[in-house]
Amino acid sequence: MSALITGAAGALSRMVARELTGEHEIIGLDLRPMVRETTVFSSYYRLKRYNHRSTDEVFRRHKPRALIHLGVRGAAASSQRQRYTQNVLGTRHLLMLAARYDVERVVVLSTFHVYGAHEHNPVNIREDAPLRASQDFPELADAVELDHTATQFLWRFRDMSTVLLRPAHIVGPSLRNRITRLLKSQYCPRLLGFDAMQQFLHEEDAARAIALALRGRSVGVYNVAGEGALPYSRAIRLAGGRPVVIPRLLLYPLFRQLSRFRVVFPHHLLDYFRYATIIDDQAFRQDFGFESRYSLVETLASLQLPAKH
Amino acid sequence: MSPRRDLFPSPFSEETRAMLLQSARLNSAGYDAWGLNLESLERATSVASVLYRRYFRVEASGVDEVPQGRVLLVANHGGQLPIDGALIALAMLLEPEQPRVVRGMVERWFPTLPFVGTFFIRCGQVVGDPDNCRELLNQEQAIMVFPEGVGGIGKTMRKHYQLQEFGTGFVRLALETGAPIVPVAVIGSEEIYPGIHNLRTLARLLGTPYVPITPFFPLLGPLGMLPLPVRIQIRFGQSMLFEGDPDQPDEEVQHKVEQVKSSIQHMLDEGIEARPRLRMIDRLAGVRR
Repeated sequence: MSALITGAAGALSRMVARELTGEHEIIGLDLRPMVRETTVFSSYYRLKRYNHRSTDEVFRRHKPRALIHLGVRGAAASSQRQRYTQNVLGTRHLLMLAARYDVERVVVLSTFHVYGAHEHNPVNIREDAPLRASQDFPELADAVELDHTATQFLWRFRDMSTVLLRPAHIVGPSLRNRITRLLKSQYCPRLLGFDAMQQFLHEEDAARAIALALRGRSVGVYNVAGEGALPYSRAIRLAGGRPVVIPRLLLYPLFRQLSRFRVVFPHHLLDYFRYATIIDDQAFRQDFGFESRYSLVETLASLQLPAKH
Repeated sequence: MSPRRDLFPSPFSEETRAMLLQSARLNSAGYDAWGLNLESLERATSVASVLYRRYFRVEASGVDEVPQGRVLLVANHGGQLPIDGALIALAMLLEPEQPRVVRGMVERWFPTLPFVGTFFIRCGQVVGDPDNCRELLNQEQAIMVFPEGVGGIGKTMRKHYQLQEFGTGFVRLALETGAPIVPVAVIGSEEIYPGIHNLRTLARLLGTPYVPITPFFPLLGPLGMLPLPVRIQIRFGQSMLFEGDPDQPDEEVQHKVEQVKSSIQHMLDEGIEARPRLRMIDRLAGVRR
């Protein structure tokens, strides 16, 4: 049986592919070139866009039975327009193809950011909570729309069993996503007077969770998190960095200017360090038998290790 | 030993610490999902216990009667700043044989306050959302609510010790989770900052729920913000266990709310009666006798 995995040039996809070797023949797709030599993919395609006719050809040629969509573009490296094209139009196109070519199982990776950072957030947000992000942060509209697109397909095509995962911050020594890069830097800015609780998921736990979602039978939207939550400042220290306290009135404009040059964390995500967005992952643990292997302390300490994958 | 430790020794024994650690569900980093951290709580308690014992000279009664496991502490609210909440929480930490961390349900705008919001969260306080309350009760925690809300804490002198309108949410949550309700009366707290008038227009402009004028604030400037050293009594009443459908209509829930309310009012009246001779400061603050 073959499975298609997007974002294949990334470390997380490689880890997921490794989890699934033996069960599936894995075809990698990405818009980026593959920089690492790897044998986990039986074939690898570099596409121009996910919503491009070359993607159709991959589906026609391989007739995959499963689709794992991890190729989501983060806010740090691209403009809003690029993100919309890749995350919304790309996802939509992939899901359309999956429905047309009778893919049986689909796993889509969303993010906990869709719930939004809001002072009224209860702790342990469940999957049916409103997605406030697009209201407070128009920059995150693409993430919310990706999420909506996947749920739409979930209900429209019942034969194609779809799981939408909303993970907490995924960090690990091999990843290069924005939160990992932030925590790996020696000096980490944090807001004066605010220190919101954060949840982290180790990269290997995340890969296992995605593999479990693919193997499982349940359908729906699931939060995925690691062991628990801790304040951001403590996370910085555990990851080996030093927090640099900056007043809010300075930090927001500073990040707005700097994020134009794409050197730092996007400013609209700063609110997540101000107000906690803590998700409840009980449903995923129950339905898929997931247990995180890395404790919170181990997860963050792993950022000081060299990359493994 | 650091100078701070000499000045404010830890109020917790090893045994207490172990007990608190056992009842709190903390992760490997030492926090629970809401942000409670026992070390932060201990540091805060070491300083606050001096205020509790020496400044407000708190007398607490009935603490040992508070049932173990899930429980809702329901109290009167007053005094402009939530000092009453802090004192109830301290009473539950310092007085009983089995100390407990009280999870107060704070106003929803609290997390927007820098420093204070974070400090409250580390000490186990939680945004007053029914989901939070339900989940904590199901984790066998002690919850503290002030059903008078802002209407209670911001009340002026004329309304001292007259309970304002109670919300009904707490009774519904008690019915739903099977948690007993313990009525709590705090006597003295309402005079810590005796409000004379509430500047509503200014409050609206500032986006705060109220801006009080007291005999000393804003007249004496920052000095007027010092809390008056009022002697405080905290009375924990008999626990009340209600049964019934949590979705029953308001008038039936209201009946139960009234029972809790009258029990608190009764304890308040008793406590005011039992107060020792009034001192000058109390008279200034407009204490009823």
